[in-house]
Amino acid sequence: MRSWRAVRLVAMREILERGRSRGYLLSLVFTLFLLLAGFVLPQFLLADRATRLALVEPVPAGLQAAVETTATAYELDLVISTVADRAAAEAALGASTIDAALAVPADLSGPGELIVQEQAGPTLQAVTSAAVVSLRAADAAELLTPPAVTVLAPPTEEDMTAIIFANAGIILMFIGIFSYGTWVLTGVVEEKQSRVVEVVLSTVRPRDLLMGKVIGIGLLALAQIVVLVAAGIAAAQLSGRLTLPPTTLGAVVQLFVWFILGFALYSTAMGFLGALASRVDEASNASMPVTMTATACYLVSILVVTSEPSGVVARVMTFFPPAAPMVVPLRVALGAIEPWEVVLSIALMLVSIWVLFVIGARVYAGAVLQMGSRIRIRDAWRART
Amino acid sequence: MLEIRGLTKRYGAVTALDRASFTARRGRLVGFLGPNGAGKTTTMRCVFGLAIPDEGDVRWDGAAIDSKVRLRFGYMPEQRGLYPRMRVADQLAYFGQHHGLSGREARAKGMAWLERFGLADRAKAKLEDLSHGNQQRVQLATALVHDPELLVLDEPFSGLDPIGIATMSEVLRERAAAGVGVVFSSHQLDLVEEVCEDVVIISAGRVVAEGGIDELKAASGRRHLEVEVEVAGSGGAWLTSQNHHAVLEQSGDRVKVLVDEDVDLDAVLAAARAAGEVKRFSFEPPRLSELFMEAVTAPQPVRHEGGR
Repeated sequence: MRSWRAVRLVAMREILERGRSRGYLLSLVFTLFLLLAGFVLPQFLLADRATRLALVEPVPAGLQAAVETTATAYELDLVISTVADRAAAEAALGASTIDAALAVPADLSGPGELIVQEQAGPTLQAVTSAAVVSLRAADAAELLTPPAVTVLAPPTEEDMTAIIFANAGIILMFIGIFSYGTWVLTGVVEEKQSRVVEVVLSTVRPRDLLMGKVIGIGLLALAQIVVLVAAGIAAAQLSGRLTLPPTTLGAVVQLFVWFILGFALYSTAMGFLGALASRVDEASNASMPVTMTATACYLVSILVVTSEPSGVVARVMTFFPPAAPMVVPLRVALGAIEPWEVVLSIALMLVSIWVLFVIGARVYAGAVLQMGSRIRIRDAWRART
Repeated sequence: MLEIRGLTKRYGAVTALDRASFTARRGRLVGFLGPNGAGKTTTMRCVFGLAIPDEGDVRWDGAAIDSKVRLRFGYMPEQRGLYPRMRVADQLAYFGQHHGLSGREARAKGMAWLERFGLADRAKAKLEDLSHGNQQRVQLATALVHDPELLVLDEPFSGLDPIGIATMSEVLRERAAAGVGVVFSSHQLDLVEEVCEDVVIISAGRVVAEGGIDELKAASGRRHLEVEVEVAGSGGAWLTSQNHHAVLEQSGDRVKVLVDEDVDLDAVLAAARAAGEVKRFSFEPPRLSELFMEAVTAPQPVRHEGGR
């Protein structure tokens, strides 16, 4: 028998008290800022600047058109101007008003030269040489046509989005578990340290208190992630770095599902381990097993699963609940998972959350009223109160 | 009526409670006394389900206590604790709701108690910004906010200044007068003697004395006999030569001894008159503190219903 009213009251308190705390709002603003910076800054820093090419007069007929055509073929962004003579070109190069100058005899009697200040980019070289050669060998243009490129399985935008979401999801998962899982952890220890827990437990059952805490803080975490994902999608749309295919909704829903599962598992563990500590400074020690596991699973997902999504490691980790929230979304995004694997993984996840909660609630109940030195799990389990 | 029936609780090799039994009636202030480590806090935790006894049970108004019944109880643990960063009014509303009040009711009742304790203007303050004494008042309000039928308070008077003590006893008396069961533990025995009607004394996990303070005193079999006789030089020597158990106090012409209840007062008075002019002659039951010392050091229970 569980008192949902008590669970709801506890969860509401967590949401109201923590939701309006400066820490929560600041972390929301800060993460939002980082995210937007991640999208917007590269626009300025990494934007491909057009290459400024000056044609030295006299310019052979058709050269500009030939350069423009080949530049388009090579996807090179070119701004073409003309300069009076070679000296003017060198002066312009020295003043950095142009990046390169192309001087070709007007009668095409020679191949001409490409003049740069320090270095000529390979694409620019290829574009200019192809343009000059095709102009000079106009008769043999047919012979100069390069082989056509055929891509058998071009990446679709759906794939790209899914991979981006999976990667972002793993990072969010990791951050969420650490920051909000730590809230559950310290929340439990603070209640114990301030002794308020004895007042609370005179009406609320320990497992209802633990559950309310996990749910309340989990909802706050989810709210933050919803805001972040929404902001991320909006920023991506506005900056034009990502076009959203219709599968976006599915990817987002999947991300949330795995976040909820992962958070429930990890924060329950954090919560009852927190009860073993008596002071906040002992808490991080008590939660060491959880943070180590989470870090290991994160690294394995990033390093191993990404490169070999169908490998043995990836398959095994799929059914290892602490790793599943990070491994499964990644494998789904990479298209390297069978539907039954997803279903089984979720089922295993739900079962282990339940088992962990039952064990955790008993350990929590046994430990949360005991003060003094750190309590061992076995003693807390046996305390039975 | 709160019935503690044969509670036994062991923590490993330590027996915190050893078949402890007593009853606390509604409408009576019951002082729950005992040396440190005697089992007072464990008993209170058993009432609230915070500790599960190995044997025995606790009943309220003749029925077993479950989590629903417990909602009508108010508890003030020895280790005070509320949420330090939560606002005072929110705190009271929160605990009121946990005891089954609606949000609005809990808020209104919480405010009423804050007004009663002169803290209405601090309703929006964070608990940690209040003085120690005011935090204690909020803690008491937390136990009272839902108008409990039973109040269990662990050391409610410890750390209070005289004004705080006066407020606390006034509130407890008033609650008892309203038919609430009130049980509190304390080491301030003179205060207990003044405030309480009944006491329960527990020692090493066993209830060693229980009942009305006046009845316990009457049943103690010992009396204080204090006599002052103006007699040059010899002081109280004449009295200490009479039949007595111990000299409690002696100064100048005044002497106080512990005697049996059935001491022959006429004989003592006659002896006093023979010694000199009697200025004072009083025959009184012992103080609660003496009953307490006697009970917790006696090898046999003074009155023990749990029964060995």
